[in-house]
Amino acid sequence: MAYLSDVLNRTVTDLDGNYIGKIEDLIARELKEFKHPIVDAVMIRTKKQQRLVPYSTVTSLFAPVVPLNCRIESLPVYEPAAGDIYLSRDVLDKQIIDTDGARVVRVNDVELMRVNGTLYVSNVDIGLLSVLRRFGLGGTTAKLAAALHISLGPNAISWDNVELLSHDPFMRLRVPADKINDLHPADIAEILSDMNQLARGQFIESMPVEQLADTMEQVESDFQKTVLETMDNEKAADVLEEMEPDEAADLLAELSKERSKELLALMQKEEAEDVRNLMTYPEDSAGGIMTTEYASVPPDVTAEQAIRVLRETASEAETVFYVYVIDPTEHLLGVFSLNNLIFADPSAPVSDFMEKRVKVVRLLDKQEEVAQVITKYDLLAAPVVDDHNVMQGIVTADDALDKIIPTAWKKRLPRFYR
Amino acid sequence: MNKAFTKNPKRFTLSGAWKRVLIFLTIFGPATITAVADNDAGGVATYSIAGAKLGYPILFPLFIITILLGVTQEMGMRLTVITRRGLADLIRERYGVRTAVWMFFALLIANMGTIITELSAVKTTSAIFNLPPEPAVIAIVIISFVIVTRGNYRSTEKVMLVTILFYITYIISAVKAKPDWGMALSNLFYPHGVETTPQYLKDYLIIGMGVLGTTITPWGQFFISSFAFDKKIEKGKVAYSQLEAYWGAFLTDFFSFFMILATASTLFVHGVELKSGEQAALAIQPFAGELAGVLFGVGILAAGFMGLVIVSLCTAYALAEFFGLSGSLDDSFRKSKTFYYFYIIQLLVAMLVSFVPGISLFKLAIITQVLNAVMLPPVFYFLIKLTSDQSLMGTFTNRPFQKWFAIGCTVVIVAASVFMLGALFIKL
Repeated sequence: MAYLSDVLNRTVTDLDGNYIGKIEDLIARELKEFKHPIVDAVMIRTKKQQRLVPYSTVTSLFAPVVPLNCRIESLPVYEPAAGDIYLSRDVLDKQIIDTDGARVVRVNDVELMRVNGTLYVSNVDIGLLSVLRRFGLGGTTAKLAAALHISLGPNAISWDNVELLSHDPFMRLRVPADKINDLHPADIAEILSDMNQLARGQFIESMPVEQLADTMEQVESDFQKTVLETMDNEKAADVLEEMEPDEAADLLAELSKERSKELLALMQKEEAEDVRNLMTYPEDSAGGIMTTEYASVPPDVTAEQAIRVLRETASEAETVFYVYVIDPTEHLLGVFSLNNLIFADPSAPVSDFMEKRVKVVRLLDKQEEVAQVITKYDLLAAPVVDDHNVMQGIVTADDALDKIIPTAWKKRLPRFYR
Repeated sequence: MNKAFTKNPKRFTLSGAWKRVLIFLTIFGPATITAVADNDAGGVATYSIAGAKLGYPILFPLFIITILLGVTQEMGMRLTVITRRGLADLIRERYGVRTAVWMFFALLIANMGTIITELSAVKTTSAIFNLPPEPAVIAIVIISFVIVTRGNYRSTEKVMLVTILFYITYIISAVKAKPDWGMALSNLFYPHGVETTPQYLKDYLIIGMGVLGTTITPWGQFFISSFAFDKKIEKGKVAYSQLEAYWGAFLTDFFSFFMILATASTLFVHGVELKSGEQAALAIQPFAGELAGVLFGVGILAAGFMGLVIVSLCTAYALAEFFGLSGSLDDSFRKSKTFYYFYIIQLLVAMLVSFVPGISLFKLAIITQVLNAVMLPPVFYFLIKLTSDQSLMGTFTNRPFQKWFAIGCTVVIVAASVFMLGALFIKL
């Protein structure tokens, strides 16, 4: 990843190393099918004029001196088009306004990302750090902030969260301003993936554990591993505690035996126990993908009491849409949905309106089989029981279908990280 | 009101002239307030010294100062009304973040110096009138805090316009001092009537430059732009705003005329030396009467208050513009938190500094003056460059004459600041 401010004013030479000029601007074009614009051309300021050359002539934009792959006499010319975005002229330092037109912040830098030889505009940088970086103080400040445990605030907004207004000198946010402080975990995951090792370590350092855990659940396992490797054991254990047990178990399974043992030893007893149990099952079995956090009530409570019980105990559950009825020894007796519960007579015992013929899966059932059960009966989650009908956990629909039908963006993501 | 207009359109149709006056009143405010605030406590002190030391002939530069002030303020006004952005906005967008950060810090420190000067003037003046100085300073800070944070653009503008009315006290003080009107008016056009010793000529030059330097300031350029932006003046009314810029310059120097007159016709005529500008209110009493002195003091308090609010606001606006934060008097405190906090922190810091005993106001004035002098050339460079840029200004770019005149004015102003500096250092 690179920054526009780093690229501007770099010297451009031709194939033979003859001086051509300095980079004045980068020209990007928005694509219909993809949310990040691609860089099409480079504007070079020569002694006499400005020349536009296609990006394809640039051998490497990120070298201290940028060489082109052609000679100065035969430079190809890029023809400007109507929708061109001049990144320095139109984007850098421009005002970002929110959805109601209020000023929010300025574009302090533009982040570029190279994927398979194509240069994309990934994010718009708004952090204080980027101002300091343009002063050549980025590294020092980041280290200082990390040493003092100061969070430098949100750093970037994904390009698809802003729109360039063609007639005004503004960029408008597509999301309300107060939302950019809590970027969706998926957005943070994307920012993280864009960062280099050093910056990523500092960013992770500054993030609260809960937010980090949410973010970790959004990224691919390879990437989870690299992120975890940048953390010390204490922090890693804290993050693992906050993550869903099934995700944590999967992640630990990816790590080396020793590290995963170390981490489990550092985790709180209860969470570690859950994770350890989950790890004993094959990764593609119901036991491997289930979560142990589900909503349950005893059979003798009334509908009214059940709501109270849920309120007190089920905040951690992955889904409360299904509530399982289990006896004191955790045998699965039945299930009811929130719908059932809400429309039930408050004084009716839950055993009256629960569904007794529960579709269950076994611990060692294959993930495909679980997915089949879930799709066949149109469930949001399936309970997992052992041979004695003792409830072990649930597999939610998204976890079951996840690895079988990856969503479009998940498919694209790994390539993005390279 | 509107109903009446539609019911009887003919009866309520305004004649062209009246309509124009009404439109003028809708845009009236920013330029007048900025210009009069240029006569802040520091300004009044400088004019008092000028009058006391040099007499009527120092009235002559007022004419030039009015033109210079008018020309520079008009550019800032036009720039903002046409581009719908502040000067700081445009500097950041056109010249990048480095320039923005340097300009901001220079402005921050220079403005801090100015604010401290205002508060120490308030302190000295209240001491002269046997008011407890510290409580007076705290009171003026609290008032400044409340009118900005509790009010909106309109209310703040109104308070400032009312404060301008207090400048009338200078007129009364001057009249009470029974000046030689013939000498005063004729000296506006050509300086005469004193013995021109080499020492007098030297003082005349230095103080003349100083008078120019306190009137035309970097913060004045930033503030007129920010304040006009916050008023949200429509593009179509730019001609009225330009007119207001010149009117503001005139009004400012109209008051300056009387400030000089009040001390020239008393202290200079009787050969009494004035040690510091703040003492003027007390010094003129034996000659112009107690009332004149008190009124002059009230004038200094008003000037200090105005400077305090305007200069602190100027830095807060500049922060918002340079770094793209929301910053408007019409925004709620919650929405423009950084803007308001920044305003308040400046007031508090200045207040604490002014309480420190034994702080050298003279050194503070020099630091402020150095920074202002260093900032003026780039500020005018940006201003002239931006107002000459056709992609920004469309048909409202500077005409060649305007541009060269502005450049000429800039050279004079910059030379004045540099000269002032030199003089200050030599005095050291």
